[in-house]
Amino acid sequence: MALRHFLGHPWRTGTLLASLSLAACAGNGVGLDANGQPVGTGGGGPPPPLSADFSSIQANIFTPICSVCHIGGGAPEGLRLDAADSYNLLVGVPSTEVPSLDRVKPGDPDNSYIIQKLEGHAAVGAQMPFGCPTTQPCLTATTIAFIRQWISNGAPPPAVATVHAAPLTVTSIVPDAVEPVNESPPQIMVAFNHELDVWQIDSRSMHIEKIVPGESTASTLVSEVVPARVSVSNANLRALMVWPSHQLASGHYRLVINAGAPTQVSDLAGNSLALAVPSESGESVISTFDVEVHP
Amino acid sequence: MIQRLTLAALLTVFVALLGVVPVQAEPYLAVMTGYKCNVCHVNPTGAGMRNDFGVTYAKVLLPEETVDTVLDSWTGKITDRLRFGGDLRTDWSRDTAPNTASQQAFALEQFRVYADFTVIPERLGIYVDEQIAPNGSINEEAYVRYGNTNEGFYLKGGQFYLPFGWRLQDQTAFVREVSGISMTTPDKGIELGYEHAAWSAQFDVTNGAANAATGSGYQVTSQVVYTKSLWRLGLAGSSEQSSGGDRRMGGLFAGLRTGPIAWLAEGDLVHDDSLPGGRTLAAGLLEGDWRVHKGHNLKLTAEYSDPDRAVRNNQQTRYSFVYEYTPIPFLQLRAGYRHYFGIPQNNLQNQQLTFLELHGYY
Repeated sequence: MALRHFLGHPWRTGTLLASLSLAACAGNGVGLDANGQPVGTGGGGPPPPLSADFSSIQANIFTPICSVCHIGGGAPEGLRLDAADSYNLLVGVPSTEVPSLDRVKPGDPDNSYIIQKLEGHAAVGAQMPFGCPTTQPCLTATTIAFIRQWISNGAPPPAVATVHAAPLTVTSIVPDAVEPVNESPPQIMVAFNHELDVWQIDSRSMHIEKIVPGESTASTLVSEVVPARVSVSNANLRALMVWPSHQLASGHYRLVINAGAPTQVSDLAGNSLALAVPSESGESVISTFDVEVHP
Repeated sequence: MIQRLTLAALLTVFVALLGVVPVQAEPYLAVMTGYKCNVCHVNPTGAGMRNDFGVTYAKVLLPEETVDTVLDSWTGKITDRLRFGGDLRTDWSRDTAPNTASQQAFALEQFRVYADFTVIPERLGIYVDEQIAPNGSINEEAYVRYGNTNEGFYLKGGQFYLPFGWRLQDQTAFVREVSGISMTTPDKGIELGYEHAAWSAQFDVTNGAANAATGSGYQVTSQVVYTKSLWRLGLAGSSEQSSGGDRRMGGLFAGLRTGPIAWLAEGDLVHDDSLPGGRTLAAGLLEGDWRVHKGHNLKLTAEYSDPDRAVRNNQQTRYSFVYEYTPIPFLQLRAGYRHYFGIPQNNLQNQQLTFLELHGYY
């Protein structure tokens, strides 16, 4: 009776029908990948079935769910989970919330921080995906089991990443020049497209400089050289970590490969890092970043 | 073409709503009653602690049955200067999505407490909105306000929700997600507000969500609302400067009461340069709340989202059916069903959510 009364007014019925007609407005997805981007620009094609393989996990979980927030310079905890960055920022890299735990510890899912975050029993912060289960579904136990299995298998990289056709280059750095960080970074993470030759890299390979930028590279003044400990993750030979010897105060910094050092950044095939033209001193700058520490 | 037709349909519905003469912290209540937000809430932009009238409304007019208890004199006031309030929402929900195992869970959605201390009546006050659970204590709002929030100018400083469009209870509504301004995203800064007769206006300068960790950049947000007993119209705009890319957005929203039904509509357009290549996003909301009987409300919503205006065939829609039953003062039961429609390649864009919620408040 009440419904008849409601629908008895033509304008009400019309408005209701107009509302319902919006159902037809959902995109049909033609020509798009799972992220709603044109095929070819965002990875392309439907994702493979979920399996205990990194490419599958990336396509089914990290890209469509996690990288909605974990992307770009503002990614929470500096953890970018887009296809270009995720592996190198996950495997063998200490978490920023609980530095004693690696985000992914190959062979040990129980002590991999990502599993603790996904299962909701991490010591710090909320369960991921953020807001689950209220605003979005949590990952099911079955889904998490695939990630567990991948980690138990040693967290192998995606198969395509082992092809060394391209020269050795940096794929991502955290922190980078996009946004300043508001506290001294405990480490600088440099990810590469190839596995590195750990025997060719040690703390003589690079250092951090505090700089006063000039109008050109040549006029840039170095106000402090910050020694750093350099190491390659045993679990991920494509992730290089640089640990400053002390906390960095506010200022402009750059990460520099030491000129003439007996050790150099190179991959297992012996290819040296392809960088921009070295400075007059022969040093090569990998990255610049700003620290803005607020009291 | 589909995008143009969709926008045309939204615009048509919006204009039709404005053209029809005959129309409760849910904004539909404000539309239903014709009140401005500050009539029921301590916060002049709505949500959070209820004032004397708001508590009285929740006791007497909202529930199906008025209960004679010692609560008859309760308005949240401990003393003339100090007032407390709170909301607790707990629910059971079930998510289903294509090619994905369904999951269900009981969850404590939120337990929030409010406190307001009037230092100098109608001139100076301190307000706090703290989420106690889940995940430990999180401050939502904490600000000092100077001036009369019922008439004339006032100033707020501290952390607060930004004024932009309808302050919906559902934080996952497309218009709230696309704008990035909701009751989960308070910001720190100052707000200059103005209340006079049918007019409400705010001008905010805050850090901006993208600048929370960088210590640089800012966000300017402004909103103007004109409220009459049967309808209201609001305009909002915001610009955020960030080293990661600027973000600008505008929103138009309206409310209309037609008999037992309150209608809400909102359309937002966002241009975000922090996304790869820069993107323009759009979102729309149409909501109808039918007061079936005292204490009973049927809420139907239709939503639209275009996450990238430059890409075809990627639009999303969402439909919700929610029944709200308020049997006695300070207790509400909600049952709802939401169905998402998106591109078939993405399971989450086609999920279905069923929920039952228990909402206690005081």
